[in-house]
Amino acid sequence: MSLLQISEPGGGAARRAVHRRAAGIDLGTTNSLVATAVGGEVRTLADADGAHLLPSAVHYGAAGVLAVGAAAKARAAADPGNVVVSAKRALGKSLGELQTGGNFRPYRFDAGKGNAAPAFVTAAGPRDPVEVSAAILRALARRCREETGEELAGAVITVPAYFNDAQRQQTRHAAELAGIEVLRLLNEPTAAAVAYGLDRGEHGNIIVFDLGGGTFDVSLLSLQKGVFEVLATGGDTALGGDDFDQAVADWLIAQSGAETVAAPDWPALLQVANRAREQLSDADQAEVAWRDWRGTLDAAQFTEIVAALVRRTILSCRRVMRDAGMDTGAIDNVLLVGGATRMPVIRGAVTKFFGREPLTDIDPDRVVAMGAGIQAEVLIGNRSTGDFLLLDVNPLSLGIETMGELVEKIIRRNTAIPVAKSQEFTTFRDGQTAMALHVVQGERELVSECRSLARFTLGGIPPMVAGAAKVKVTFQVDADGLLSVSAEEASTGSKAEVQVKPSFGLDSGQIEQMLRDSRNHAREDMRARALGEARLDATRLMDAIKSAIEEDGAILSAAEQDGIDQALAELRKALAEEDPTRIEELTRELNRTSEAFAARRMDLAVGAALRGESIDTLGCEAE
Amino acid sequence: MLAIADNFFAQFALPAGFEIDSGKLNARYRELQAQVHPDRFAAAGEARRLQAIQLSSYLNEAYETLRSPLRRAGYLLRLQGIDVEQVAQSDLAPELLFEQMELRESLAELPENESAFDQLDELNRKAANRLAERQGQFVQALAGNQLEEARKLFHELQFLHKFQMEIHKKEESLESVADF
Ligand SMILES: Nc1ncnc2c1ncn2[C@@H]1O[C@H](COP(=O)(O)OP(=O)(O)OP(=O)(O)O)[C@@H](O)[C@H]1O
Ligand SMILES: [Mg+2]
Repeated sequence: MSLLQISEPGGGAARRAVHRRAAGIDLGTTNSLVATAVGGEVRTLADADGAHLLPSAVHYGAAGVLAVGAAAKARAAADPGNVVVSAKRALGKSLGELQTGGNFRPYRFDAGKGNAAPAFVTAAGPRDPVEVSAAILRALARRCREETGEELAGAVITVPAYFNDAQRQQTRHAAELAGIEVLRLLNEPTAAAVAYGLDRGEHGNIIVFDLGGGTFDVSLLSLQKGVFEVLATGGDTALGGDDFDQAVADWLIAQSGAETVAAPDWPALLQVANRAREQLSDADQAEVAWRDWRGTLDAAQFTEIVAALVRRTILSCRRVMRDAGMDTGAIDNVLLVGGATRMPVIRGAVTKFFGREPLTDIDPDRVVAMGAGIQAEVLIGNRSTGDFLLLDVNPLSLGIETMGELVEKIIRRNTAIPVAKSQEFTTFRDGQTAMALHVVQGERELVSECRSLARFTLGGIPPMVAGAAKVKVTFQVDADGLLSVSAEEASTGSKAEVQVKPSFGLDSGQIEQMLRDSRNHAREDMRARALGEARLDATRLMDAIKSAIEEDGAILSAAEQDGIDQALAELRKALAEEDPTRIEELTRELNRTSEAFAARRMDLAVGAALRGESIDTLGCEAE
Repeated sequence: MLAIADNFFAQFALPAGFEIDSGKLNARYRELQAQVHPDRFAAAGEARRLQAIQLSSYLNEAYETLRSPLRRAGYLLRLQGIDVEQVAQSDLAPELLFEQMELRESLAELPENESAFDQLDELNRKAANRLAERQGQFVQALAGNQLEEARKLFHELQFLHKFQMEIHKKEESLESVADF
């Protein structure tokens, strides 16, 4: 296929012996994408139906993963609880946070495997957000392999800039679990800036405002000659289109006078809310129906319903400008990224705050994946770097617990990464031989209001009077934004080190075990996949035949009708069971039984078309 | 990969002093990061990659130190062999303590609503003016080699900087309740 030949301007490809397939992956709350170099240009890849966006939905059945993407999303209302959507918002969360978070309906959670992350309870058993994310990543890696005919050698995976250490770690784990070599975790707004700025040779101060399905980021970057320097970043990892849907859903409940909404009804309700909300991006009002209630939602009402959410995005913008010590007047361009920025309320608020119209000539859905794809090409060595360089920052302050449950900040937010910082601490009791260290992340002063990242103990301190020992604690944040911490006592050189992991996260041993499990389960997974596909094909055919009979049932003989009815009934029965081969057989059978009918319909249709055409034209074409 | 200079100023080929050409600092920083950043060594061996992280971290530390006026002042003192980590009670003149108390009180007294914004702006201006004034004195003290005086001024700068941070925090908490 000519599509697969990668050529590089300047003949770089000729000099390089091996080309390795690299990709950028935007693992989104609602939609995920993969981008790779095609014909020397990084592009997002589409599936067989031409869709670039893979809905971030995974359908679980007793046998495992039934479907990923659109097919899974389509089942959300029919099989609530077993179709996991927005799993990204559950990354890095504790069981308590998931259970009380409110926005995770209709799911049930349990503690997951051992001290791994808490899990969604599905028909396939507990599946934690890392595993759900891995299923999505696997589907994208497969798409990349099928489109390019090459194995994926490495990928840059994007994360919200405002993701904390636990969320980043778990994203990395998901990729490992999917068998993907992670070249780098790249912040989503930075990736967007790259895709936008690189080709155009942009320079100046730009704001990237990224409101997706589940997360919000705002970053201020300075662009100069291929160097992208992030000056400040802010956001909210629990603010996105999902929350706007939730607000509309709450409004619907109030309007319809419904007392309660059962957990399994939530996916359907949220779909109604989502459709209305998206319609309002192009129209002044949307018709809505929920149960027996019918009404309209107009733009003004919508603006009121979501005012508090819009306001939160603008507060983050203010903070970013303040952190950078810059006035909005110094901004040269505002870039909107993420599907939810299509909402006029958002565009209006952003325009008002920055005092300029945001750019609209980029595709808000694809830029992030494309930027990641470009970075992947560079990191794997397929593309010469030239002046291209990304300089990013640490989004949240990192610190250590001190006396009185206070936080001593060691690395402040918006510090350029990679970074290493040390600070000295001392003992507070005479003869103290060990020191407990508690690493936290967040902006607040009190430990209880920050996120706990890790606890570890430095032992082997020689007994001394209080305040005499000198313990040097070093924080290192790498280019992925991941933290490791070490502590050393000066007089003895006694050392302790941790790669920070969320307390409920996985250690590498657990990851290996999961990898082994997943390999063992590969056959089951394949079967589950085959089952999902067989079911999908079967339902498509059944739907097609049903609507054909509705339209042209008159041309069916009684015997034909019986045959089709019988084949339909058997297939329907097989669908309830879990044998993909049987479903396939019966689907073929149904196809055979209805062939004659389909042929006759075709004749009818052609006949109808012919009647409308002039004979001359047809004759000419035939010659 | 990168020659480590004697001090951060030399690293960016800038004269050591409080007044600094921030455009030059930023340009040099970008040039040097382009040579050492881990992204440039993604395909290199483990040792090389580790070295890249270290050098890049070092450059970031140097850059952040010189970029912030307060940290730059502290660094200049350190280059003179003065430990700015230790603060003694005697470093804080009584007038300074009064000034601190007065500023803090005016911040604490602000109402928790929008009407506080103007007063906050006023306080911000006050703090900024005092900072500018002290910075001028600091530069003079340093030039005249009055290191003890410079050290005291540094602690005053430190205090005013911290006060500004508190103003920002207050601003943030007001914004979260106010209309705009
Ligand atoms: N025309 C539209 N009007 C309003 N909202 C829209 C429109 N089109 C898409 N959206 C919303 O955009 C969101 C999805 O955006 P996107 O695909 O950028 O998110 P994501 O990348 O999956 O999420 P995140 O970046 O938060 O992880 C959904 O909430 C969707 O409803
Ligand atoms: Mg996104």
